[in-house]
Amino acid sequence: MSLRRRNFASTAAIYAMLSPTFGLLAVFSLVPFVWAFVTSFYDYEVGGESRFVGIDNYVEYLHDPTLLPSFANLLFLTVFGLLIVSTVPLAVAKLIFCLKSERARYLYRVLFLIPIVVPGVAGMMIWQGMIYNDTGLLNETLRLFGREDLTRGWLSDPRTVLWAVVFMGFPFAGGINILIYYAGLAGISESIHEAAELDGARGMTKFLKVDVPLVMSQVKLLTILTVIGTVQGFEGMFILTKGGPGFKTMVPGLWMYMNAFSFQRMGYACAIGVILFLLILSLTVLNMRYFRSSEELKAEGA
Amino acid sequence: MIVLGLAAWALWPRGVTQVGSGVRDQKDSAPRKYTVRVAPGIYMPGTRPQDLGKPLQGLADVAREFEKLYPDTRIEFTDAPVGEREYLITQLAAGQAPDIINVNVGDVWQDVQKGWYLPFDKYLEQPNPFVPKGQLGCEKWWDQFKYQSISRSKTAPDGKVYCITYDMVETGIFYNKSMFARLGLQVPSDWFEFIQLQQKLKDARVIPFLVDSSAVADWGVDLVFNQLYGSIIAGMKLKRDPSREAHLSRFFDWDELAYLNRKGFFTRRDPRFVETFRILKAWRQYFEKDMSSTDLTKMFVTQKGAMYWTGSWEVNRLARDPDVGFDWGIFYLPPIPHSYDRFADGHDQCVIGGSGTQFEVTNSAFDDTHDAATSEKLKRTIAFIQYLTIPKNVDRVVNEILCFLPNVVGAEPRPELKLFDTILHREFANTKWLFTFDLRFDEIMRRMLDLYINNGISEDEFMAWMETNVKTACDTIVRRKRIDLSKFDAKWNELAPLRAKVQELPREP
Repeated sequence: MSLRRRNFASTAAIYAMLSPTFGLLAVFSLVPFVWAFVTSFYDYEVGGESRFVGIDNYVEYLHDPTLLPSFANLLFLTVFGLLIVSTVPLAVAKLIFCLKSERARYLYRVLFLIPIVVPGVAGMMIWQGMIYNDTGLLNETLRLFGREDLTRGWLSDPRTVLWAVVFMGFPFAGGINILIYYAGLAGISESIHEAAELDGARGMTKFLKVDVPLVMSQVKLLTILTVIGTVQGFEGMFILTKGGPGFKTMVPGLWMYMNAFSFQRMGYACAIGVILFLLILSLTVLNMRYFRSSEELKAEGA
Repeated sequence: MIVLGLAAWALWPRGVTQVGSGVRDQKDSAPRKYTVRVAPGIYMPGTRPQDLGKPLQGLADVAREFEKLYPDTRIEFTDAPVGEREYLITQLAAGQAPDIINVNVGDVWQDVQKGWYLPFDKYLEQPNPFVPKGQLGCEKWWDQFKYQSISRSKTAPDGKVYCITYDMVETGIFYNKSMFARLGLQVPSDWFEFIQLQQKLKDARVIPFLVDSSAVADWGVDLVFNQLYGSIIAGMKLKRDPSREAHLSRFFDWDELAYLNRKGFFTRRDPRFVETFRILKAWRQYFEKDMSSTDLTKMFVTQKGAMYWTGSWEVNRLARDPDVGFDWGIFYLPPIPHSYDRFADGHDQCVIGGSGTQFEVTNSAFDDTHDAATSEKLKRTIAFIQYLTIPKNVDRVVNEILCFLPNVVGAEPRPELKLFDTILHREFANTKWLFTFDLRFDEIMRRMLDLYINNGISEDEFMAWMETNVKTACDTIVRRKRIDLSKFDAKWNELAPLRAKVQELPREP
């Protein structure tokens, strides 16, 4: 058997093994994407007739009353999310990493990871029912200090609702992000630390000038995940506020969902979905293009 | 987006409906030719509404008797979440919805043109075969229903009846009698006293009034609207439908609202419209702080709130809950006197409740032949609903809990619910804003009103939203239904002398 034929045979086997996975991916991800794109050009009500309307759905969305508030909310949530994801878990990971005892490091890693076993929805319900409620922890604490005037419906007051939503999960210290940063910090060679210390770098200076640049791969990964998660995610708003009061916590994903399944405007919802897809794609490309990790910088330097 | 794509693909219109599946609660596994799946809502056998009392049995007993009459038919109950619009639409589009469902018929109207629901008109005009000769219903099924005008008001905009109104529901203000006595307070007789009462409760550091935001948008708007427009309806009412009884004679249909809107009503230029929302906003200060997520029943039961505006279903909870350690009573919202608001005339508050359980038959009910005219399964489905409406069966099902009032002559309401019966005989509201236009209108109205009464936007901003929302909804419904509003021109002109006597009407654009 010639080398070429042998290569073909082994490659064909790999393709054969890949094909079931790819087939499922195509049926459940790629074909629906194309279908959604096509549907976005139709005025299509579930159970009714569909009518080709060209780019009307896109034009209508440009004039949608929720467009500006929902994208402003999205920007706020994304910026806040990025700020949190790039600071608190990294700081916690560094603190754990600095512990002398390997046993203590292990214990703290486990302790900080434990909160992820609580389902996200359950966590939100706890915040909604026990903390932000009329007689929840926040209001009762204020009453305890005689500040009834400051009590409010944290999730129904237009002035506080967005902040109440983003502060769920405070102090943002648990979860997998810490482990990702920890892995990055653990991957930094000891010799680099020694060299930095020889050059006089200590404490915060060393953290900012040595550790942070060297965990940029992790920052980049978490940035992409956070952006995608924030743009796509609406379940939190759906559960907590339904995007209200008014449109104070409306996000494009939730409006897409409501148009699809409440108002039955599937074509219009698909148009919003396509716009969100393009937004995520652009942000990811920008991130990949301009946000360099240490490995990439190293490769460019070489 | 991928989920949307999948949904779009899965729900794309197809010609064939298929037999669905449901959750069975019965142990009988004998083969039967027809299975009628019923999503009965609150009467679901085996459940304990509000986690109180014994598991419900009434509907299962009736079904068992029906199965004896129709040995080829099995009645299967499902607790499928048909009240969730997302669920119901996908099931209907796939032809897999339960055969009999219980949802608000206003939601059904949005979809009647899709052939998902069966009109009852033909059956209502015929005898109920289970009614003995000489009793109401033996000539026309229609005759069995006690609250005729409310039941008939459930006619869809296309003129057909898509639901059987099985029972009635009405709202009331539940109040803590013990607390009132302790604080020396009385049930108010008008809005002035009502507001004073709430201020006294607030001063006593009690939440005066518990109500959720959707109730304000739904009941609150319609009631205050009725109070402020009541005296000028004669100059606005464009349609006179002799088939409607007095109960509904002052109700505006959507086409009338659309015409009036083009004459300047329900805009920023209409002072009554502005005032309607202003009154609600002024009232807001007496509600609980969080109107969206707080468990109001719990707050009432734990005596953190003195009054609770809710539906008759709450009687079941309060009468049976051993944790309720106080006396409670019910009163209805008091009238707004002219001295409180220059547009009000102090007439009694109208009815905003009405049909509670509303049974609809879906396209799944004739999936044996895919033709309603020839379907044997459909005959059994209709027969089961007819059997359900026999007075003794209504009594067994509806009166098993203290939530609703039977809507069949011969089945009396439980004594605890009698007050609601008297309210239900009042005149109906002039509008049901949230059940007139499309769901997008509802969504925007609810949201913006919520924002307005919670100081999230100014009155001007709110009215700008409402004006645009009402106009868009009117334009949409006129376009979709292809209605020529000029049919009202003559009547409008005829009513001009009546309007000439009224002050502060909106100027025509």
